[in-house]
Amino acid sequence: MKRSTTLFAVAAASLLGAALVHASVSVGKPAPEFKVKDTSGKEQTLSAYKGKFVVLEWTNPGCPFVQKHYETSNMQATQKAAEDKGAVWLTVSSSAPDQGDYRKPSELAEWLKQKGASPTATLMDDDGKLGHAYGARTTPHMYVIDPNGTLVYAGAIDSKATARKEDVKGATNYVKAALDEAMAGKPVTKATSEPYGCSIKY
Amino acid sequence: MYRPRALSQLICLALLGLIGQPHDVAAGNVVQTEQVRAELVAHAPEGVAPGRTLWLGLRLEHIPHWHTYWKNAGDSGLPTTMNWTLPAGAVAGDIDWPAPRKLPIGPLLNFGYEGVVLLPVPLTISSRIDGAALHVKLDADWLVCKIECIPQSGTFELGIPVDQPTVAHAIQFAQALAARPEDVRGAESTARVADDALHFEVRGLPAAVRGTQAEVFPEISGVVDNPAPVRQQWDGETWTASWPLSAQRSASPDALPLVLRFDDGRNLRVVAKLGSSWPGAEAAGTATAPPSPGDAAALSQPGFLTALLFALLGGVILNLMPCVFPVLSLKILAVTQHAGDARQRWTGALAYTAGVVLSFLALAGLLIAARAGGEQLGWGFQLQAPGTVVALAALFTLIGLNLAGVFEFGSMLPSGIASLRARDPTLDSFLTGVLAAAVASPCTAPFMGAALGAALTWPTAQSLTVFAALGLGVAAPYLLVCAVPALGRWLPRPGAWMQTFRVALAFPMFATVIWLAWVLGHQVGVDGAAALLMALLVLALAAWWWTQRPAEGAKRHLSTGVILLLVAGTFLWAKPLWQPGAPDTRVGAHVGGLWQPWSPQRVTELRAAGQKVFVDFTAAWCVTCQYNKRTTLANDRVLAAFEANKVALLRADWTSRDAIIAAELARLGRSGVPVYVFYDGANAPRLLSELPSVEEVRAAVSSNRN
Repeated sequence: MKRSTTLFAVAAASLLGAALVHASVSVGKPAPEFKVKDTSGKEQTLSAYKGKFVVLEWTNPGCPFVQKHYETSNMQATQKAAEDKGAVWLTVSSSAPDQGDYRKPSELAEWLKQKGASPTATLMDDDGKLGHAYGARTTPHMYVIDPNGTLVYAGAIDSKATARKEDVKGATNYVKAALDEAMAGKPVTKATSEPYGCSIKY
Repeated sequence: MYRPRALSQLICLALLGLIGQPHDVAAGNVVQTEQVRAELVAHAPEGVAPGRTLWLGLRLEHIPHWHTYWKNAGDSGLPTTMNWTLPAGAVAGDIDWPAPRKLPIGPLLNFGYEGVVLLPVPLTISSRIDGAALHVKLDADWLVCKIECIPQSGTFELGIPVDQPTVAHAIQFAQALAARPEDVRGAESTARVADDALHFEVRGLPAAVRGTQAEVFPEISGVVDNPAPVRQQWDGETWTASWPLSAQRSASPDALPLVLRFDDGRNLRVVAKLGSSWPGAEAAGTATAPPSPGDAAALSQPGFLTALLFALLGGVILNLMPCVFPVLSLKILAVTQHAGDARQRWTGALAYTAGVVLSFLALAGLLIAARAGGEQLGWGFQLQAPGTVVALAALFTLIGLNLAGVFEFGSMLPSGIASLRARDPTLDSFLTGVLAAAVASPCTAPFMGAALGAALTWPTAQSLTVFAALGLGVAAPYLLVCAVPALGRWLPRPGAWMQTFRVALAFPMFATVIWLAWVLGHQVGVDGAAALLMALLVLALAAWWWTQRPAEGAKRHLSTGVILLLVAGTFLWAKPLWQPGAPDTRVGAHVGGLWQPWSPQRVTELRAAGQKVFVDFTAAWCVTCQYNKRTTLANDRVLAAFEANKVALLRADWTSRDAIIAAELARLGRSGVPVYVFYDGANAPRLLSELPSVEEVRAAVSSNRN
């Protein structure tokens, strides 16, 4: 009897599913929790910002596409508009420390300050775990999370996938649009777009 | 950063000796940067004349380890772009891209070119060109990357003699045109979306590539998970491949052009037409806005404590279900026989409870993990795989046969309990608990799918607590009898009647088997269901024969072998018939008459046309769904209300796994069926209860909420 119950138990367990595991999150799904040190050494978690809109921005000062949006002040303006409406803005660096483009926490903080950016915090994702959890591929790569912790936007900052600064004008800013719609309680019309830029230097 | 345009101008200026008037100079046909030598070249073997096609091309020579990109750059990067300034009468086509290479960068994958590549562009001449040469100007942008990336651009000018052939780059053009993927004439290519992957099926590829592997490149970006492995195989003349979708898919094309680079160097191009619809948010994102999951969830979720209470109660009721009742009642009667030893009784009861609760937690944990991993599953998923239904049918058949006395397991039942107790009663109790959970699992889906489904959308700790409560409920009667021996006295005295009772209990077990066969019939058709009955018959024969084997010796071993072979052979024979498929058998059974098959597009269309829509999310294995379908949804007054309000009736059948339906349920804040949704034009959808009354449905469809 014992053997047969064991057999049944094993059979029952094996019935209960073969789950394929996908790495990254989809829009409409809960955004993965993280625990990452910021440039000042303080631990930052997503759950600490529950109840607020959170924008994640992947950056790399050495990337011409990041420069496009910082030198035209497009990124700073998007950030200011978001923060003025009460959103949290987390800038993320997922460059590995052995990559040429890697900036130390103090250097990265200084670069952002010089550019007039004021993220809520700047996260040093040196091991790339945060980047992998969100499926971040490019710099810049943008995400918007709603107050319930649901991912509502993932993709490019805007609609013109070029490195030309003159293309910032006339492009649709997807992050701004997503925040505006989500904050007004509307569904996000453009919830995903193809991110463009440099590869993240994992 | 490097400034190629300035450099190219400098080079030109130096060459032309025109320093001092930088803005008026003509560009040359070469731009040299640190990483790339770019040259505009032409191929016009018959000169330039109306009606002729000639070729222009941008030849990019990269220094080692640097690359530029294909039309789909992959995970990062940008395709090279060309902007032409041409005289009247000349029209440039699109870049006729040579097949790319895979360029992995860390965990990411890009598509592009290293070394030397010529990007050819056809030029059509429609009228006579004035002058001795056709002057073309090109503004090109390219992104050149190693690990770091540098956007570069160049302006090129070239004069192509009208009256004489231009053939200096004939070999390069011949190579570039040969490197283009070749459209396969007569190939039939389809793609469908299932289980978060695109499944391609291509017939009519050349015989030479049959059986070989291809590198696959999607021309449209933002659809598949680029670095994910492409599972491909040949089935006779048909090449099939499965490619996981990008978790953040940003495109939903109707057709997917693919470039296949086969082992022999041959590059083929096929355009796979999408045979199914795209799941999820983007599909309906345009015309009518769906509710955000948060809103819908808030509409209908019971409170946490209420859910706990119902889970506990539901667990208790599960004990009365035909699947659990026989196992449990015998277990309880067994306890009353051994009412004496309190400590032993308690240990057994707790072990049993632990078995039940842990099994439910494991099941829920597995499902939560799979959902977190992006799988489109809901409660009831355990019955959506035909393999599980078959295995459960076999399990219930064996239990039924055992109860009927065809064979003995040994001591699960009162007759043998003494010998087992002597061995390891605690483990036995635990495993009986696991068994109880396993036999209860198919019943939770039909009766509590929606409630448990709602629980799954909560934070992990909360939803696990609900499942633990359900387990406690299942274990409660047994626990109670052990805890309060006085209760045992209310139970009938053990006696000879128990043997009769036991045989009687075999019948609910067999009833459960019939139900499972019916579910399987909906999933795989009547052949699969018949094969299941055949397999169960052989299993029954084997179980009986097992008890008839000679006590020892070679004959016993021979019998054992034959029985095992018989069972294995039958199941292997029947297995192909249990593949999920033939959706028309499902649709035929569930849709018809007033009801149309559901699809997100259909809902969008109907709503856009201003029509009211009622959707019934159902499944064959969902008993609540079947009950509603035969009662409320078949009620004359409800049907009259549907007709009077011109409500379109759609039915979504979730009997088998279906990522599109699962995604829609998730958007409605549910993960199990039944779900009844009413759409009134552009208003937010309204969810009805799981057991809607006639009045509830009538009120919902009759109210005018505009």
